[in-house]
Amino acid sequence: MSHSILSALSEDLLVRVYGFLDPPCRKTWRLVSREFHRVDSLSRTSIRILRVEFLPALLFKHPNLSSLDLSVCPKLDDDAVLRIALDGAVSTSRLKSLNLSRATAVRARGLETLARLCRALERVDVSHCWAFGDREAAALSVAAGLRELKMDKCLSLSDVGLARIVVGCSKLNKISLKWCMEISDLGIDLLCKKCKDLKSLDVSYLKITNESVRSIALLPKLEVLEMVSCPLIDDAGLQYLENGSPSLKEIDVTRCDRVSSSSLISIVKGHPDLQHLKASHCISEISLSFLHNIKALKHLKTLWIDGARVSDSSLLTLSASCRALTELGVSRCVGVTDIGMMGLARNCSNLKALNLACCGFVTDAAISAVAQSCLNLESLQLESCHLITEKGLQSLGCYSKRLQELDLTDCDGVNDRGLEYISKCSNLLRLKLGLCANISDKGIFHIGSKCSKLLELDLYRCAGFGDDGLAAISRGCKSLNRLILSYCGELTDTGAEKIRQLEQLTHLELRGIKNITGTGLAAIARGCKKLAYLDLKQCENIDDSGFWALAYFSRNLRQINLCNCSVSDTALCMLMSNLSRVQDVDLVHLNRVTVEGFEFALRACCNRLKKLKLLAPLRFLLSSELLEVLHARGCRIRWD
Amino acid sequence: MEPEDDLCQNNWGGSSSSSSSKRREQVCFTSQHKWEDASILDYEMGMEEEPAFQENSNNNNGGQVNVDFLQGVRAQAWDPRTMLSNLSFMEEKIHELQDLVHLMVARNGQLQGRQEQLVAQQQQLITTDLTSIIIQLISTAGSLLPSVKHHNMSTAPGPFTGSALFPYPREANNLASQTLNNNTCEFDLPKPIVVEEEHEMKDEDDVEEGENLLPGSYEILQLEKEEILAPHTHFCTICGKGFKRDANLRMHMRGHGDEYKTPAALAKPNKEAVPGSEPMLIKRYSCPFPGCKRNKDHKKFQPLKTILCVKNHYKRTHCDKSFTCSRCHTKKFSVIADLKTHEKHCGKNKWLCSCGTTFSRKDKLFGHIALFQGHTPAIPLEETKPSAQKGSSACENSNNNNTGMVGFNLGSATNAIEEVAQPGFMDGKIRFEDSFSPLSFDTCNFGGFHEFPRPMFDDSESSFQMLISSACGFSPRNGGESVSNTSL
Repeated sequence: MSHSILSALSEDLLVRVYGFLDPPCRKTWRLVSREFHRVDSLSRTSIRILRVEFLPALLFKHPNLSSLDLSVCPKLDDDAVLRIALDGAVSTSRLKSLNLSRATAVRARGLETLARLCRALERVDVSHCWAFGDREAAALSVAAGLRELKMDKCLSLSDVGLARIVVGCSKLNKISLKWCMEISDLGIDLLCKKCKDLKSLDVSYLKITNESVRSIALLPKLEVLEMVSCPLIDDAGLQYLENGSPSLKEIDVTRCDRVSSSSLISIVKGHPDLQHLKASHCISEISLSFLHNIKALKHLKTLWIDGARVSDSSLLTLSASCRALTELGVSRCVGVTDIGMMGLARNCSNLKALNLACCGFVTDAAISAVAQSCLNLESLQLESCHLITEKGLQSLGCYSKRLQELDLTDCDGVNDRGLEYISKCSNLLRLKLGLCANISDKGIFHIGSKCSKLLELDLYRCAGFGDDGLAAISRGCKSLNRLILSYCGELTDTGAEKIRQLEQLTHLELRGIKNITGTGLAAIARGCKKLAYLDLKQCENIDDSGFWALAYFSRNLRQINLCNCSVSDTALCMLMSNLSRVQDVDLVHLNRVTVEGFEFALRACCNRLKKLKLLAPLRFLLSSELLEVLHARGCRIRWD
Repeated sequence: MEPEDDLCQNNWGGSSSSSSSKRREQVCFTSQHKWEDASILDYEMGMEEEPAFQENSNNNNGGQVNVDFLQGVRAQAWDPRTMLSNLSFMEEKIHELQDLVHLMVARNGQLQGRQEQLVAQQQQLITTDLTSIIIQLISTAGSLLPSVKHHNMSTAPGPFTGSALFPYPREANNLASQTLNNNTCEFDLPKPIVVEEEHEMKDEDDVEEGENLLPGSYEILQLEKEEILAPHTHFCTICGKGFKRDANLRMHMRGHGDEYKTPAALAKPNKEAVPGSEPMLIKRYSCPFPGCKRNKDHKKFQPLKTILCVKNHYKRTHCDKSFTCSRCHTKKFSVIADLKTHEKHCGKNKWLCSCGTTFSRKDKLFGHIALFQGHTPAIPLEETKPSAQKGSSACENSNNNNTGMVGFNLGSATNAIEEVAQPGFMDGKIRFEDSFSPLSFDTCNFGGFHEFPRPMFDDSESSFQMLISSACGFSPRNGGESVSNTSL
């Protein structure tokens, strides 16, 4: 392509063309010419930054950014934020979305600076910042225009901090407080009083009582309410919702132990437009009255009743009335048999997701019926359905052309023939075959050759296949980004050599593969540059050469498990100092590493670690300064 | 009234005449013990019944002594001799009472057909005696309390001084009443009359909001400012001594001569109304302050219930707050009881609002925040200071820190180069080498290992590049991608 033709295109035309490209192509686009690069810089609205050193430059280069993701930027801290603030050239006024998940080193000072810098801020994610406490909340509350806030697992956040946010950001319409264990009824009550625009609320795992539900019921615009595993809420609390929150569309009461079907009935009565009802593991039985009320929900799309006793007749009644159902969860339901499933398949032809995990009585007949009727089926979970054989999988292969996700973990009946049938589902993205002992290289070969779109493959403890199968996978499934090969004992360095072809791989588990040595790991490290998660637990035969290669090539590695590895002092030190994005490390039972080795390696990476697992005796052997620094930088240490 | 009183006196006289019989005393020794117990425990009842017994105590021969004794306690500090005489006096009184009850028991058998009125009289008589014994006992005990100041004792009525002695007033009260009932057959205690004591009236202003008296259905009295603020409202016409309560005045009057000891003179003035006359018009009070809601000229006038209410209201609303809390030195009060209540809880208010208001309870703070726009809970500074220092300003600290061990690792890439030149860093380096010497680096291929202190603090991508490539023979790799693929 000659340069002159390209220069003839006007800028707005280029921008339009750019708009049609998907992310990988945009990367290539940038490299075409200076003009193209400029268009990319100006049009880019979203960026994820891995190294904090480049943050000011990148912000300067992309002035129209609206979304900034700093969740994988391990060295981000208050000082880095302050430096950006002092840099006058950086424009952050258009930034609307900010992801600070796991940025534990950013404390109140940095957050306040950020909140003041980004005046248009609407979405903030500070989930998993365990050090995010009341002061941080107070700092964040400066961002008055905030609409969405995710604070999952902000363990230090108390009612006081929530109150600060609630008062400061009264326009909130979505907030997630999952795992914020300090939050009590008082905080929720204030939230519901001050933020009347709230549409989505997640209070899962909180120790809140019925009083909170009473406050929540007063929210006029609430549409989504998630309260998974709230152990103190019972039927009396849920009764408040019958006449409250008129626009409720989705409710999740999964694992609320004290909730029974009677209160669910009252919710259903009060909200005939309910679309998603998730009540897994809280009701023991589908009673007639419950069924009767569920029937009235004409718009019901999702129903999760996992763990309940469901008879075939009730499943038939249910499916006959809720024909709009697209997602059904009946895992671990006692009483689900072929008759019920066939009735369901007949009635609910729109079904897209079906969870039948641990429904031991379901056979091929049911699967065939579902496959033949529900042509839109995208996700099917059949974990531990031992009666399923290749016959059922045959119909899946024939009819379910849209199937994207298939979970066959622990299905004894799956064999090579079955995999051959499955491979006909060419749109398959996620396939789980863990614990299927009867599959060999032959079956894996079929998967590798036909399922080219596969993103995730789980072969946990599939001891029957070896390097040849892996070679087929590596050849065929080029977009694979998640591969679990733990305890596949047949694999050797030859197989590892093949894995290097999977350039998109980000998540790799090689736990307990004794035959892989340093050579194999070096090959993987050289090939899979995007690797972010690596599990090498009990890979005892990997020597230092492998770890050196890892240290050298896998610069994107964020999480690594080195338990029981024979890594030496020097190799560990190299790994820890060179892997500049590593955030989460498991370093248990490293027999060749001395205390000095640990000390040195941790000193090398202590300013970016977020999570660390060590043997308990080290607590007293490592220097206290090191532990202090780790703590101050927001690193959490689990002593094993 | 008068015939009844006569009857009582007769009974009393009869009983006291037989009080010298030793035999009976000994027989009833055990029961006497119980009586004493009961009287000890029953202090709170004494408090509640105070006017009742004061009213009734005019039937009592020992009344005079009682009052004198009380005032003696007020006038002077603890004196063992007085105490001894008090105790012996009480002992005598108890014996007298014992005899009286004996007599009544004996008579009861003979005079079955007697009218019930007499029985009631007897009961009243015993109650009166008992309460007078109780109050004496408590006053005596009160004089022993070193913490109670003389001043307090002279202002507060006798029963209060003893209150600190008994940790569980209610239970004690119940126990006492049970004991009484068990020991004296159908001995009925008079129902506690609600007395408008100072401590009960603290919330009076709020309480009264609920009262809906029709205008005109009550009589409005208005005291003058001076009258309200006067320390005493009742004065002795003979010696001019002032009292806060008219019951105390009446007690005092008995010292001026026998004519003040008659039941009529000692009776509560209000009760002297002629029997059979119309029920008295309810009295309500108006605040003399013009424009006050409690002033009778106000459109939405809300009357005050008692004089005490008037006093407290006037002090709280229209007077300077002259009592300052000795703990926080900020809160001020005009009523001393309010100050005392506050001082009990002062310093416990840890829930602070941005407006400066403090709360002792979290829910109260949150209620306050829910009510007012823009108010937020304040976060105390000292809680977070250490972590903030560690987290964000450790960089500055490290520059001053000679050991450098904590500090240098915190230095981010740009600082690292500066820090290289610092003595602190050098210290760190030396230590790092020391710690590694036993690991025998010489066996490793890369001899240059000693010379790479930088990468420990600056993880620029090239730090190890040369080392590894020379050692392991890897080809130089492409520059790390700093920006991931995700976009839009």
